[in-house]
Amino acid sequence: MVKISGIQVKNLVKSFQKGTVQACKNVNLDIAEGELMVLLGPSGCGKTTTLRCIAGLESPDNDDAIWIKGRNVTRLPPKDRNLAFVFQDITLFPHLNVRKNISFGLDMRKTCSKEEIDRRVQEAARLLHLEELLDRKPNQLSGGQAQRVALGRAIVMEPDAFLMDEPLANLDAALRIEMRTEIKRIQRKLLTSTIFVTHDQEEALTLGDTIAVMKDGVVQQVGTPYQIYHQPANIFVGTFIGAPPINLFPCSIQSRGTEMIAISDLFYLPIPEAIAKNLSLGSQNLTLGIRPEFVTIGPKLENSFLARVTLIEPLGSRTLIFLEAKGREIRSVVQGEAPVAEGEAVHVTFQMERVFFFDSTGKRI
Amino acid sequence: MIDTKPRTRETQFVSTREVGLWGRMLQGDRWLIILFLLPTLAFLIFLLWLPFLQGIWMSFHNWPFIGKPKWVGLQNYRDFVTASYFWTTIRATLIYSLSTVFQLGIALIAALALNQKFIPLKGIWWGIMLMPYAMPPVVTGAIWMYLLDPNLGMVTHYLIKLGILSEPIYWASDPTWAKWVITLVVSWTFWPFMFLIILSALQSIPESYYELAEVYGANLWQRFRTVTWPHIRGAVLAAFIIRIVWNLEKIDQPFQLTGGGPGYETSVLSVLTYRFAFLSGDFGMAFTVGIFLIAFMMILMIPFLRRFQILITQAGKRG
Amino acid sequence: MAQVTDRSSFVHKTLAYAGLIFVLSLILIPYSYIALTAFKPPGEVFEVEWLPREWSLEAWRYTFKTVEFQKYIFNSFIAGLGAAILSIFIAVPGAYIFGRKQLRGKEIFFYIITVALLFPYVLLIVPITITWIRIGLYDTLPGLWIAYQIFIIPFALWILRGFFAELPPSLEECAMVYGCTQFQAFYRVMLPLARPVIVSLLFMTFLIGWSDFLFSNMLTTGEGPRTASVILYVTAVGGERVEWEVLMVMTLMAGIPPVLLYILAQKQLMKTFAVRRR
Ligand SMILES: Nc1ncnc2c1ncn2[C@@H]1O[C@H](COP(=O)(O)OP(=O)(O)OP(=O)(O)O)[C@@H](O)[C@H]1O
Ligand SMILES: [Mg+2]
Repeated sequence: MVKISGIQVKNLVKSFQKGTVQACKNVNLDIAEGELMVLLGPSGCGKTTTLRCIAGLESPDNDDAIWIKGRNVTRLPPKDRNLAFVFQDITLFPHLNVRKNISFGLDMRKTCSKEEIDRRVQEAARLLHLEELLDRKPNQLSGGQAQRVALGRAIVMEPDAFLMDEPLANLDAALRIEMRTEIKRIQRKLLTSTIFVTHDQEEALTLGDTIAVMKDGVVQQVGTPYQIYHQPANIFVGTFIGAPPINLFPCSIQSRGTEMIAISDLFYLPIPEAIAKNLSLGSQNLTLGIRPEFVTIGPKLENSFLARVTLIEPLGSRTLIFLEAKGREIRSVVQGEAPVAEGEAVHVTFQMERVFFFDSTGKRI
Repeated sequence: MIDTKPRTRETQFVSTREVGLWGRMLQGDRWLIILFLLPTLAFLIFLLWLPFLQGIWMSFHNWPFIGKPKWVGLQNYRDFVTASYFWTTIRATLIYSLSTVFQLGIALIAALALNQKFIPLKGIWWGIMLMPYAMPPVVTGAIWMYLLDPNLGMVTHYLIKLGILSEPIYWASDPTWAKWVITLVVSWTFWPFMFLIILSALQSIPESYYELAEVYGANLWQRFRTVTWPHIRGAVLAAFIIRIVWNLEKIDQPFQLTGGGPGYETSVLSVLTYRFAFLSGDFGMAFTVGIFLIAFMMILMIPFLRRFQILITQAGKRG
Repeated sequence: MAQVTDRSSFVHKTLAYAGLIFVLSLILIPYSYIALTAFKPPGEVFEVEWLPREWSLEAWRYTFKTVEFQKYIFNSFIAGLGAAILSIFIAVPGAYIFGRKQLRGKEIFFYIITVALLFPYVLLIVPITITWIRIGLYDTLPGLWIAYQIFIIPFALWILRGFFAELPPSLEECAMVYGCTQFQAFYRVMLPLARPVIVSLLFMTFLIGWSDFLFSNMLTTGEGPRTASVILYVTAVGGERVEWEVLMVMTLMAGIPPVLLYILAQKQLMKTFAVRRR
């Protein structure tokens, strides 16, 4: 499929307070037409700032940072960008009823006929199950309803893109999951490019066609949820994504005959060929990463090592087992019930084809 | 995961680098700010500070209503301080400022009473309580002039009938009574301002606080001390300070009731200002007295200044 | 335990009702007396009697026909209305900027407003009068309108600024994303939201203009836009015999409209006066 460019962010730099605070250092993003991209990162990493730059609510430091459909809009005011923004604190206009809130953007634009506006509002209301609420004022709505109205206000614009800044953050857990599905369903239906900001990885993984992981004002990795999870670009992405988090061990590489071996005080592990070809012999200061679900507990094998079970946490369909070996903690996730008991000594094996190696700068090899 | 990070959302206008078209748009917004500030700035400059400075300038002159002003230096100030009525005026001003305390008393009683759940017809009582404040001061002044008239006023009549007075008081010509009459009339007229502020503060106290206090067995007085008072203290203080200043310049009624007399006995500083300006047409002297009024107000406010400072910086931080 | 609560609530109720009755009688006794006086014939005002022995509209006829008090009431009305409208144009835009925009030196402005709030305006009568004479605003309605701003603008700025500052920060940004310019965001979103406060300020300013005596007395002459307050003052203190029944008619005419306005605007007023604690 040929990617038609929806929104491009090119080398976006944005600083505050006379350059002393750099919220965005060098942000590059490419959101295809119809794609739903999730912008994920820890608090303060510059997600909101990036989004606000795209919307035109902040003015980037560089002149050609924001492109929409191949057009440089970096210095255009927000109203001329044909984007719809959904705010974290929902921000409905308190003095307007739901209908007027939804049609606000169209009323301002003055390009639509009254009938057209009515039609679009009705359609959005149907899509969002708001038909009954059209004549209410915002203070008569529940949190979920209010957020649906905010979505409706965005939808009727038929914008080039939706920008959503943690739109679900102020909702309670159950509602958040429900709305998440709703948003994805609507996005699929309208096929409007969407940037969805969150710092909740579960939200990111379930929602995104692609995920862009940010840290300290720099995009660390852009990829599908699968890529982000199984091929993290660096230690940060590896640890930020995944719950329970990835296991990390310092190690070095040596050879044994034709094989390469990862060595640490804990283990002595032959590396499968597919991974080994990227590694060089004698590397020091590497970090070996393995997700808990690929740490298996079972019979003594050639590469297994001994550990003691310290704690067991059932997670519903899975169970998280904390292990300890030579003073290090290892997390393992198994399907179903724990096959072991707390305090037991067990044999631990890593599924080596699932192992990541990160170099001393944190990049995955 | 709610974003709780405090943040000042710096809006575009002070962005450090503004270039290109959008930059020019921002410049446009700067115009909006200037345009919006213009009337307020014009007000502050042309109606407040310039006249104030002009007044100070005038106070160094012998400045008649019509005719040429003559520079006299500090003569007006010297004249005023050494005038026979100087201390009379100061004493009158002090007693007059007591009206703020009376107002606070009535306002507290009224607000506390009206804030009780079980009182019916609150709207009506509220409307009645505001009547003195809503009417022009000259109107209420006229009413009291009639009611207090020594010969045919209702008040005198009943006081004599009840045996409290043996004969009518000709208060307008009695230095002590004249002062108390204007002070009380002004208190009667302006207390609803504090009442409004205190009542709003009272209404914002969550009911659950009282319930909690009751659960812990607090009696009426304890509930007032632990729940009510801490909640309204800030509002009471703000209202009190504003009123101290505003009362001292409410001179319609003294001017109407006693005209500042007998002699200078009720010539509160602000009344005296007006007397000099309106009756004698001596504008230089009028403003000189005004300067003393400002000084007087400042001295009165010193005890409250620190608390007030805290109050307004808090208010300032909000926006 | 239950008994204790009951006793305290009896005390509670007694105190509250006593307070209420005390305050109400403080107000109602004088007012009802003068309301009745307005219907007494001239001869009866010299005795203290609640009900007129003979109901008379003589005082009303005199007030309308001879004094033509309605003329001055109308002047008061215009003076108040003009002042109110002008004050909104001055205070609302300024308060909006102070309340919502990050400006350098904003705190200084805040202090200036606060100082202005505590400024003894009565002083300014002196220079304002002189200046008004010099620039031709003396004895004119605009002269009064502008002068009255001194009384209200600092207070209006103070109240409105607080109101704007407390609205959610993203409101205008939201409006701008959905197609508004800066000005439209103000006009379409902030202004409607501020309406209750603006209404109560409008009406407070109106009453300032309506009620004022000091400026009106100083800045107008008998031929100019004299307001009712000045006529009332003259009737009360001028001349050797005060016509009390006429004076009482005037107090009713000048006093009742503001009371009605207050009752009408009760809800907005309560909001406006909610000086927040903290
Ligand atoms: N107007 C501003 N002035 C100064 N610093 C700012 C401003 N806006 C953002 N910053 C700073 O820029 C950095 C990035 O902020 P941003 O709001 O983009 O983070 P975020 O990723 O959205 O975080 P969160 O998940 O908490 O919403 C932060 O360090 C923040 O303090
Ligand atoms: Mg954010």
